[in-house]
Amino acid sequence: MSALVQETKAEAGAPMLQADGVSIQFGGLKALTDFNLTVRQGDLLGLIGPNGAGKSTAFNVLTGVYQPTQGEVRVAGQRVNGWLPHQINHLGLARTFQNIRLFRALTALDNVKVACRAQGALHPEGVGLGTKVKGAFVNYRDWWRALLLTPRFQHEERELTQQAEHLLEVMGLSHRRDEEARNLPYGEQRRLEIARALGTQPKVLLLDEPAAGMNTREKADLMVLIRKLRDDFKLGVLVIEHDMKLVMGICEFITVLDHGETIARGAPAQVRSDRKVIEAYLGDSYLESHGGAA
Amino acid sequence: METPAIPVPEARSAIPASLRGILPVLVALPVLALFQWLMSDAPFASYLLSVVGVNIILAVSLNIVNGMTGQFSIGHAGFMAVGAYIAGVMSLNLKDVALSFLPVAASDQVFFVASLLVGGLAAALCGFLVGLPSLRLRGDYLAIVTLGFGEIIRVVVQNTDAFGRALGLSGIPQTSTPAMVYFWVFLTVLVARRITGSSHGRSLWAIREDEVAAEAMGVDTTGYKVRAFVISSFFAGIAGGLFAHFVPIINPGSFTFVKSMEIVVMVVLGGLGSTTGAIVAATFLTLLPEGLRSLFSVLGAEGSLAQRVDQIRMPVYGLLLVVLMLARPQGLFGTKELWDVLPRWIPRKRKGLA
Ligand SMILES: Nc1ncnc2c1ncn2[C@@H]1O[C@H](COP(=O)(O)OP(=O)(O)OP(=O)(O)O)[C@@H](O)[C@H]1O
Ligand SMILES: [Mg+2]
Repeated sequence: MSALVQETKAEAGAPMLQADGVSIQFGGLKALTDFNLTVRQGDLLGLIGPNGAGKSTAFNVLTGVYQPTQGEVRVAGQRVNGWLPHQINHLGLARTFQNIRLFRALTALDNVKVACRAQGALHPEGVGLGTKVKGAFVNYRDWWRALLLTPRFQHEERELTQQAEHLLEVMGLSHRRDEEARNLPYGEQRRLEIARALGTQPKVLLLDEPAAGMNTREKADLMVLIRKLRDDFKLGVLVIEHDMKLVMGICEFITVLDHGETIARGAPAQVRSDRKVIEAYLGDSYLESHGGAA
Repeated sequence: METPAIPVPEARSAIPASLRGILPVLVALPVLALFQWLMSDAPFASYLLSVVGVNIILAVSLNIVNGMTGQFSIGHAGFMAVGAYIAGVMSLNLKDVALSFLPVAASDQVFFVASLLVGGLAAALCGFLVGLPSLRLRGDYLAIVTLGFGEIIRVVVQNTDAFGRALGLSGIPQTSTPAMVYFWVFLTVLVARRITGSSHGRSLWAIREDEVAAEAMGVDTTGYKVRAFVISSFFAGIAGGLFAHFVPIINPGSFTFVKSMEIVVMVVLGGLGSTTGAIVAATFLTLLPEGLRSLFSVLGAEGSLAQRVDQIRMPVYGLLLVVLMLARPQGLFGTKELWDVLPRWIPRKRKGLA
């Protein structure tokens, strides 16, 4: 499997996100086995596989929601095993969720503003008592500014609003600025999740089925937008998507999972003709179409 | 992308930025002075309004945890007790001390405020010690732990001579004034509102809405929950300290689970997350039994009828809570503030937090 790691790309920047032999088990279930991945700035990678293959689990391990039972995750060169999700996020890894997880009662603007932190409120990263104490100190100073409503606080607040408005505009959501997230139509909710993730100023963006529930037209538009985001925001992007055609269309490199195992990796054309991939997908759709009748 | 190159617009408000922080205080002080003057010859009204004020502080501060942050603390009376006993004991011991360069009344107030702050900080410390382990865990741990905390405080007080055991502490100098109580009401509300309008408040709301997503968006959820809890406990302690300085005696009976539930009912009735809702509900639920009590005594009924008000209070709260859950589960105002639910023709602020 480690031979497959040799996927060095021509325009090799420093890897922003790296998974090295990552495995995770839930009880007896091996949800992810020996998962390897490298994301650099400018990458647009795909992660595909049938239902229950372990794609979302991979996202959860990378972002610190779950701890890997084996292997190592590195973000911006730092080993982040054992870190909390918010600390990993501060290093520049942001994500969206498959089952939309917006702050439903907050307005679209406030959703994004939660993610945009004032520069002054940035905490030192890492585990250990030293950084914790430092972080707490920075945070308390920040609380006092907010409680005393200092001019600096007011300025930062306007700055945040402006950043968030900019991101809403980028995602075509300006007209929803003051609407509660729960009242947005489905497609716009998905876009708002991306705007929110961008608010954390990530270097790598993980999108979990960003086009789910959209019609063909919306899907195509979204894929164009994702490519644009990668260029404008200088991101590395990793997309989970069920629609093979879509992924094949925009991703330069694809990893295929099945039952937690990486069954193929490579360029779209290469992956498409892979026997194991065809089997996994055919088996899946076969079961889907015939399962009800049986 | 980095911050867009557009310059940040200046505030469109007519009030200079440097003044906005202090402005509410400048407005509040003369109002409080006037209020104090009005109340100077009305002991019963002073007492009643002080009770209302203390309950507003309790409800508004609990709302920071149970409303804004979406946690479930049911031991607020415990933190109130800490503040009441610490401040009370301190005042008792400093009773005969006075600052020579101040008039006696002013000196008393200085010591009173000092005791309040010490009581508040003690409660905040308890909040930290209780909150840190339990807020790391999800779900109902906080409820269980805060419930236990309230009981522990009660047992400690009942077995400590310095706290007067079950008999209670009497003789605490009655230095509290309605103006002082409402100064703290004002501060509590101001703090709650300013938290709401800042990135800290947004982080708390985000935790309430979806903890996993908040964490993924870089919010230190445990840290924020603990901070919210500490702030909330601090004001509960202040409320206790104020209370101890206008009632003739404090005893463990004033800070039981029943008191905690009363505060929870106020917050739920007002609408979890609504500061003005908490104020309205606290006022209503405090004045209602008092009103009934005075009504009964005015009607000339024997004391027993007035006493029954106390006995039926808890069942009535329970009933109220059940009716509320059925008819309007989000409380009177939901997460909105008073000005959001006013009739249309009254100008309102733009939607969103703050
Ligand atoms: N917290 C958990 N505890 C136990 N099992 C889990 C947990 N999370 C995921 N699993 C299991 O791990 C496997 C992989 O799930 P995962 O959600 O990663 O699949 P997926 O590839 O994202 O599928 P889909 O396309 O349906 O989203 C599934 O069998 C799932 O039931
Ligand atoms: Mg999934």
